[in-house]
Amino acid sequence: MVKKMLISMSALLVLFPAMAFAEDPSGATLNMGLNALWVMLAAILVLLMQGGFILLETGSTRMKNAGHVAGKTIFTVGLCSLVYWALGYGIAFGGSGNDFFGWGDFFFDPAKTSVDNGLPTTVFFLFQLAFAAVSLSIAWGGFAERAKLSVYLIFTILFTALIYPVVAHWIWGGGFLAQDGAQDFAGSTVVHLTGALAALAGTILLKPRIGKFNKDGSANEILGHNQVFTALSVLILWVGWFGFNAGSTVAIGDGFFGFVAFNTQLGAAGGAVAALLISWAVLGKADIGTTLNGALAGLVAITASCAFVDPWAAVVIGLVAGILVFYSVRFFEKMKIDDPIFALSVHGAAGIWGTLANGIFATEELATKVGVGQGGLIDTGSWHQLWVQFESVVICGVFVLAASFILLGIMKAIMGLRVTEEQEIAGLDLSEHGNYGYPEQLKKPSGQNIQA
Amino acid sequence: MTDPGWHQLLHGIARAEDSASLHRLRELVHDRMVARLPQQQTEQFYAELNDAHDAMIRRAIQLAQSELARLGMGTPPAPFAYLLFGSGGRREQTLLSDQDSGIVYGDSPDGEGREESRRYFAALSDQVVQLLLGAGYPLCEGNVLSSNSEWCRPLSSWQERLGRWFDEPAWEPVRYLLIVADSRCVFGAPELHEELMAYFYRDVIQQPVIVKRMLENTMKHKVLLNVFGQLLREPYGEDAGSLDIKYGAYIPMVNAIRLLAIEANLRETGTLERIRALEEQGLVQRSEAAEWIQTFRLFLRLRMMTTERIENGRFTTNGKLSSRKLTKEMAEELKSGLKVGKKLQRRVYRHTMNRL
Repeated sequence: MVKKMLISMSALLVLFPAMAFAEDPSGATLNMGLNALWVMLAAILVLLMQGGFILLETGSTRMKNAGHVAGKTIFTVGLCSLVYWALGYGIAFGGSGNDFFGWGDFFFDPAKTSVDNGLPTTVFFLFQLAFAAVSLSIAWGGFAERAKLSVYLIFTILFTALIYPVVAHWIWGGGFLAQDGAQDFAGSTVVHLTGALAALAGTILLKPRIGKFNKDGSANEILGHNQVFTALSVLILWVGWFGFNAGSTVAIGDGFFGFVAFNTQLGAAGGAVAALLISWAVLGKADIGTTLNGALAGLVAITASCAFVDPWAAVVIGLVAGILVFYSVRFFEKMKIDDPIFALSVHGAAGIWGTLANGIFATEELATKVGVGQGGLIDTGSWHQLWVQFESVVICGVFVLAASFILLGIMKAIMGLRVTEEQEIAGLDLSEHGNYGYPEQLKKPSGQNIQA
Repeated sequence: MTDPGWHQLLHGIARAEDSASLHRLRELVHDRMVARLPQQQTEQFYAELNDAHDAMIRRAIQLAQSELARLGMGTPPAPFAYLLFGSGGRREQTLLSDQDSGIVYGDSPDGEGREESRRYFAALSDQVVQLLLGAGYPLCEGNVLSSNSEWCRPLSSWQERLGRWFDEPAWEPVRYLLIVADSRCVFGAPELHEELMAYFYRDVIQQPVIVKRMLENTMKHKVLLNVFGQLLREPYGEDAGSLDIKYGAYIPMVNAIRLLAIEANLRETGTLERIRALEEQGLVQRSEAAEWIQTFRLFLRLRMMTTERIENGRFTTNGKLSSRKLTKEMAEELKSGLKVGKKLQRRVYRHTMNRL
């Protein structure tokens, strides 16, 4: 017994050396430390979502592109980090900006223990960087299976420096939409819609993959090569989303992050269930891909509203997102827009819905607590918040779409976006990297074993 | 049949001398039937078309017999019946149906005779199948063909085999039993076939559990309607937007009616004949039977419309009706028909489950 006590005491002393000294840490220091731990954990979770994107994108595409799709994610996360450090963070949060963009803090180099709002600025930076990287990885959905590797290089720089941080500044960095009271707790618009619209511009400028549409306009189904990867990716993203949403409290505070996480779970669940049921009802077969998209759409939709709505509303938002994503996929296909990873539907359509949902379901109590905007239509009877949400979606949407079209359009004119037909058929693993991700399954072009 | 040209055509088939002339005559049949498709009444159309198919098959068997005689194999050592299964058995073949066939022949008293019969009918069926292939009838993908020794047997062996299937009601044997239920003797000694079917129905009645297993197989294909009553179209590919009439309308109804007929111990094989017989037996009300007949005629008509002519003048079908050909009125008609089909499936399900 005594022995056990001694062991646990010494273990505690190793963990909390301050206990050995007489001087207690101040409340502020404890608060800061806990916040730092929580947000750091959240940043790690959000960074880990890249693992989800790797599996999502590879699982949903063909074997011949698997190595490229997976490897380029690691590369662009690296490049995105450098660009965000050098430029993006300053545009989003730099202190001497205006209503439209931030300025300052370029090549971010804070004091070693600088603390802002009860949180080490380094931790805040890492958390924000992870969001930028997620938005970028969403955008790649529109480029999949046919864009040149150099496009990934150049567009990472442009997106991370000029597109994403501007929207982040408008809504989270004290910009003009923030002043209007636009509610987007963890980024249905800032992260997801932004990524999805860059994907839209990309996929329109790149044109559909070879074989996606027939001459008469009918679509072919290009199945991904591994549905288990795709399902696993959804679980990884789902777990990572607790960092994404609940971490966006950027503080431990009174434990409000727990409520945010709770709503997040309900939204995701609603999306998954509704999507499976609607596909089953409409197609006569329960579609796995739709179910997976539904879970993600529920998560995307609840991202804006997770801190502003009651649990029942989180369920409704998720359910609607699950149904919406099913019809959205069909819509884009009808429009002959090739969306290999369903980014436009999962992050775009559901991102818009989630942002607007605040204007309907936000409660006055929670809006006051978070300190952004006001209650929505149901709680207050006022259309004001819905209008603000609508305005923010439209303004951000128009900006991202226009900027992406212009930047990618210039790139297309100067360097071209798409690999050659031959390279596309052989697969980007071979054309961009020289080796297949599944060398045993695929033979180089001299053989007959290439999947067209 | 009023058309004298048609009579000539049938006579021509009966006198054809080889598979090339059979093939030529088959093309003529095609062209005539396609031209006639728009105006002719559905049942009449199928009856005539199946007369022509039957004539082709009969002629092929005769030619094969002569060929064997020429090769020194003599005449058939035992009486036999050439059987058709599937749509041929139901006399619901379209312009493009494939071969589903079998042979049942008379038993021999001794081993030597058995071996002789086996050899003769194996050779005969090989000839028949090849002749018909040459005439443009593709082989059955499931290898339900008289040239497959599994489907070419003496009566006693057939009976033994049916008994085995009845004793082991797994998915595959039950499927075979359902195939046999649609069998029809197109040539030869019909009494052999009748004896076989008598055996079949005795066992069905003795083992009601088999009907339950047949039900599972029968319900395999779902009707082309979703829970909102919308048509389920092909979502992707060259056929995007088209409707799988064969497996989403026609086959579910064939299967459901077949099961009702088996349960009622009816020997008819055609779906419409089965419905009429069910009505005569008082097992189905007149109004309901009329509704089924109307619906099935619609499915038969739409099934004919799935025929496509492709570039080199050959005909082909995948059983799917392209949305181009489906007018708004027809789509509405099809929807009501499919609702009838769905109701029928539910009825068969309840009926069968209650019996057990």
